[in-house]
Amino acid sequence: MKKVVDVSLPIGPVHPCFKEPARIKCETCGERVIATEVELGYVKKGIEKIMVGRPWQETIFLAERVCGICSVVHNTAIVGALEKISSIAVPPRAMYLRIILNELDRMQSHLLANYSYCYTIEHETLAMYLLNLRETIMDAIEIMTGTRIMAAYVVPGGVREDISAATADAVRAATFHIETELPRFVKMFETGPMIALRSKGIGILSVEDAKKSGVVGPMARASGIPCDARDQVPLYQELGWHMITRSEGDNFARIMLRFDELFQSASIIKNALAALPSGPVRLGGRVVSGRCRNVIEAPRGNLTYDIAVDEVGRVISVAIQTPSIMNVEVGSHAMMRNLASIADVTATFISTDPCIACAER
Amino acid sequence: MGVAAYIREFARFDWLKKFFTAKTAPLASPLHFHGFPELTSTECTNCLKCRMICPAPGAIEIVQRRDGKWEPQIVPGHCFRCGYCVEICPEEVLTSGDILVKRREQNLAFTHEFEVMVDTNFCMGCGNCCTACPVNREIDPGMGAGGTSTTDTVLMRIVGGRNTVQHNDLCKGCKVCEDTCPNGAMHVVRRVEAVQKEGC
Amino acid sequence: MTLLQRIKNAVRKRSIHICYVNTGSCNGCDIEILACLSPRYDIEQYGIYVHNNPREADVILITGAMSAQWIDKLPDLWDRVPGPKAAVTIGNCPISGCAFNRPGSLIDPPVSKYIPVAAAIPGCPPRPTEIISAILNVADTLFENYEIKSRGKKP
Repeated sequence: MKKVVDVSLPIGPVHPCFKEPARIKCETCGERVIATEVELGYVKKGIEKIMVGRPWQETIFLAERVCGICSVVHNTAIVGALEKISSIAVPPRAMYLRIILNELDRMQSHLLANYSYCYTIEHETLAMYLLNLRETIMDAIEIMTGTRIMAAYVVPGGVREDISAATADAVRAATFHIETELPRFVKMFETGPMIALRSKGIGILSVEDAKKSGVVGPMARASGIPCDARDQVPLYQELGWHMITRSEGDNFARIMLRFDELFQSASIIKNALAALPSGPVRLGGRVVSGRCRNVIEAPRGNLTYDIAVDEVGRVISVAIQTPSIMNVEVGSHAMMRNLASIADVTATFISTDPCIACAER
Repeated sequence: MGVAAYIREFARFDWLKKFFTAKTAPLASPLHFHGFPELTSTECTNCLKCRMICPAPGAIEIVQRRDGKWEPQIVPGHCFRCGYCVEICPEEVLTSGDILVKRREQNLAFTHEFEVMVDTNFCMGCGNCCTACPVNREIDPGMGAGGTSTTDTVLMRIVGGRNTVQHNDLCKGCKVCEDTCPNGAMHVVRRVEAVQKEGC
Repeated sequence: MTLLQRIKNAVRKRSIHICYVNTGSCNGCDIEILACLSPRYDIEQYGIYVHNNPREADVILITGAMSAQWIDKLPDLWDRVPGPKAAVTIGNCPISGCAFNRPGSLIDPPVSKYIPVAAAIPGCPPRPTEIISAILNVADTLFENYEIKSRGKKP
């Protein structure tokens, strides 16, 4: 039988374009990549195991440290699950503040994802512009919570601290800055001829493949599947959220979809700040025994926490399902096959916005 | 057209001005950033509330200085800088960022209650927890190495080869027993609620 | 000190090539290193370049708490780095294991058990400003008289 595969080429675990360790094994035939396999397992820490037997004030810190990029959403998800179990009421002002912080977190995560993609396709100018724009968002998060990442802002029964009028103005100014600066960069990305060569029609994820593999988040929406956990939250509808989808399903569509969602997040933050009700921000509440499942929309897709608590408020068991594991796996099964060059493998992999720390915990 | 967008981007006056007059941000943290907690001038009363709420393993120690005064010490390699110790301290001994200011403005507080639970399946009666407990040490400095005590006013002691909790209300929730237990039998169950006091 | 050594000292502290290795961190420290690259902080103006390739690095920045997979790989990677070399750890995890250092977890801190660590930056995660000022503080002495100091040691 004729030999088809020339070289089996490993990429990683330490590689210039990976933020985190992962290994992609590429089976190549000349320059063409026939098949790929993603190998994970480098950052497994066993967080779910060490959450067991701890009260909420320790568990939320461990949940935040599942992922440093989308730490706020993990915090919100686990606190939401605890509140569902114990039927703790959240004051309306705290709900709005949570949405503002979650959208700021989504904005910085999407900007980081698009930065990584531009850096991987060696468009460093645009990458640095986007990374600098991200610092504006990080400043807004810092002035709101006191820390750039891992703020532990969401606590059962509300949020940790109120925001002052000056802070609200700073957040509003940050979103205004994004809304005025970003369109130029989007236009550069949209019309760049070299970018189009590197991203249009590469790494296509068809609707059938996406449905079969259970892809979530921006990946699914870029392939035309309306899948977003925010449609279950009435407050998001009030603040002007609507589903954004694209139909192409290639690298270009995924990045453009994230740009579109950035503008949407900015407008949600503006609406939320305008409609911010007054009142207390944290009311406390006892965590009682029970078990429940909570799904919320992380920057990368649906994030599920299944948590059981005993009668004294300690966690008995917790299971986390993060979006990255589906999104990374579908890459090797559907998108990174029969690509024209090795460079497209890393570009396609980064365009899925992989978060290995989320996927392995 | 794509190339025109690029040329327009770099020929803008703003861009050129920024290019020639750009300055790096100063290498300093802003005032509202939560740094490592620092000591203020007020005196620590050794209530151990900071140790009770601290989520990081081994991040805070309350030590007694030569002159008999207590002092919380933050261990930098362990501390998360979450600021919970700053927020709960009733004497405002620690400060970090603008937490103290916000706490005063918004009446932020934590309510807490705790209970020592001994898992009898795991407890082997070594008495490490009883000798390590800071409350026990104050009440009965002459406690035996095996955790036996002549008085029953202590928090917990070894009776008949088992650890028995005598006075749950004395517990300060400092988790020292949890840290010293070799079997994982001790649990200080802490129920903390983050609240905002009305008015006051 | 010879003239050659003096030139080496002067050159080495102005041009530091960096590779960062994630040995089981949560990404938080990694994106703070990325933020150092942004034009706001602009780490390249101090002569620090991020290549993320161990074979051309002088300093490797280690984030993370040594997960089981890295225990054999990190000393291997350390051998690949050409001398003069140094390791700087970022964040709490390489120092103490941070939140993950609890019974039942799959990590084995500290990193200094496996490779020699020259400096450690605490914080969970440290701010980009803290990272830059710490690296600048150690940059002057990190490779100073490297040949004299390493004389008699195994290469």
